[in-house]
Amino acid sequence: MPVEMLLLLAAVVGFYVAWNIGANDAANSMATSYGSGALTLKQIIIIAAVLEFSGAALFGKRVTHTIAKGIVPIELLDPHLVAIGALAALLSAGFWITVATYYHLPISTTHSIVGAMLGFGLAAVSQKYLEITQINWGVLAKIVLSWVISPLMGAFLAFMIFIAIRYLLLERFRSEKVEHVFRYLQVLTACYMAFAHGSNDVANATGPIAAILGYRGETPMWVLFFGGLGIAIGVATWGYRVIETVGKQITELTFTRGFSAEFATATTVLFASSLGMPVSTTHTLVGSVIGVGMAGGLASVNLRIVQKIIFSWILTIPIAAALTISLYTIMVIFI
Amino acid sequence: MKFFRSVGEVFGYSPFRALTQHAKLCGRAVGLLQQQFFAYKNENFEEVERLREEIDELEGHADQIKEEIRSNVTKSLMMPVDRHDLLEFLKVQDDIINNCEHVGHMLTFRKVKAPLDIWDEFQILLSKIMEAVNEYEIMVESITRLVATSFSRKEVISALEHVPMVEKIEHECDLVQIGLHTRLFNSDMHPLDVHLMVQWVVHLGYIANAAARAADRFRIMVLGR
Repeated sequence: MPVEMLLLLAAVVGFYVAWNIGANDAANSMATSYGSGALTLKQIIIIAAVLEFSGAALFGKRVTHTIAKGIVPIELLDPHLVAIGALAALLSAGFWITVATYYHLPISTTHSIVGAMLGFGLAAVSQKYLEITQINWGVLAKIVLSWVISPLMGAFLAFMIFIAIRYLLLERFRSEKVEHVFRYLQVLTACYMAFAHGSNDVANATGPIAAILGYRGETPMWVLFFGGLGIAIGVATWGYRVIETVGKQITELTFTRGFSAEFATATTVLFASSLGMPVSTTHTLVGSVIGVGMAGGLASVNLRIVQKIIFSWILTIPIAAALTISLYTIMVIFI
Repeated sequence: MKFFRSVGEVFGYSPFRALTQHAKLCGRAVGLLQQQFFAYKNENFEEVERLREEIDELEGHADQIKEEIRSNVTKSLMMPVDRHDLLEFLKVQDDIINNCEHVGHMLTFRKVKAPLDIWDEFQILLSKIMEAVNEYEIMVESITRLVATSFSRKEVISALEHVPMVEKIEHECDLVQIGLHTRLFNSDMHPLDVHLMVQWVVHLGYIANAAARAADRFRIMVLGR
């Protein structure tokens, strides 16, 4: 099969992954603004679509770089093989995300694609195209570390922000007044959140596509546009329903609490983007909400979700990797 | 809709609204008890029976709320108050309505004949209890504001101002009870009538007592963060 054909296939699957990121991950990060009532559904969809796209297009380069060649040294491989491997990775991640979403598992798109790219690398090793030591284990270790650090950083920042709001504002002024002011600030953090999310998560779709295009250190702008567009369409065609569903579960989040969680999450994720680290926005958001809870901001936080998230990590990486190895092997034999 | 993932699960069950609902039921039960005594005094025993049923119903409803809170407030929840403090507070608050139910039943045991001034004393005792429980209800309702302001110092102080007030009214109830006991033991009523009425007085005292103890548990819960 010619590389053009593989690229076309990858574009279709990549678009699906981007759509899914918009429909679920972006939607979850925006749902806090809907739950608190800071924005209407229409406003959220417009903000999410525009700022996810901007984040992806303007800031999505570094993480795309990490996904494309940070884990597997694609420059050492035959371009045709890279195309097959990256396509297999994209397909596996897309498939796993779909299954997990149906079962409401709190998995991360980011973890799926990283696991899948690792699977591609291991498959190449098993075929003796690469030495096991040539896989960038150092980068992989950093990525995994960033998965642990990002929810903790979210929690820490959210804790500090809400403690400040609590002692500087809620102790001194009428809570209604404080909340009123933060309604407007939460509009800003909603934008910040969408931008940060777009900048990080777009790579889950664009990283493998960039690899197929023969990535040499520069992601073509149109690839990022393409990913950003997929996310925006995902928000507009399905994400709004997810925002409604999730928003109803989180009415407890008032403007001050929503602001704290969103500001902490967006800052953490944007920081990760600037370092080129692919992190999970939703897991960071969960960390941030727990941070607000630890600062005494919430009536009740269910810590059982932490177990569920750790379980989903343990599940996602091997499954995404194994799926990719299988698909890759089948494709190499038949194509 | 099936195709979604959600971070919503991180928000756990919040027991605070249910707690205030439970407290409101306690207040309503005392109100009904007051009506029940009035009906008894007027020898309207059908009404006494009907009110007993109504109090039973309220108590059943309160039990449901209590069960709901107990089964949902699990160890994995992180709340702004200690879980054990909250459950202990709920347990004592539940004693208020439980004792209302007991008294409601005891009013149907026997048709007591008593002089009018004793009935008047009972009305005084009941209105004192009502006063205590009203004060108590206002205190419990303030939990919504406490949570909204993350237990700001100002709100904590104003919420806890109700505790000594409930305790003070409870003490006044004690004094009325002592008077009633003295009156009853020195009356020339039928001994069984005296016995039953003394039981009423004792259990009415338990209601006020439960309100005062629950207020105290509320204070422990709010301060024990």
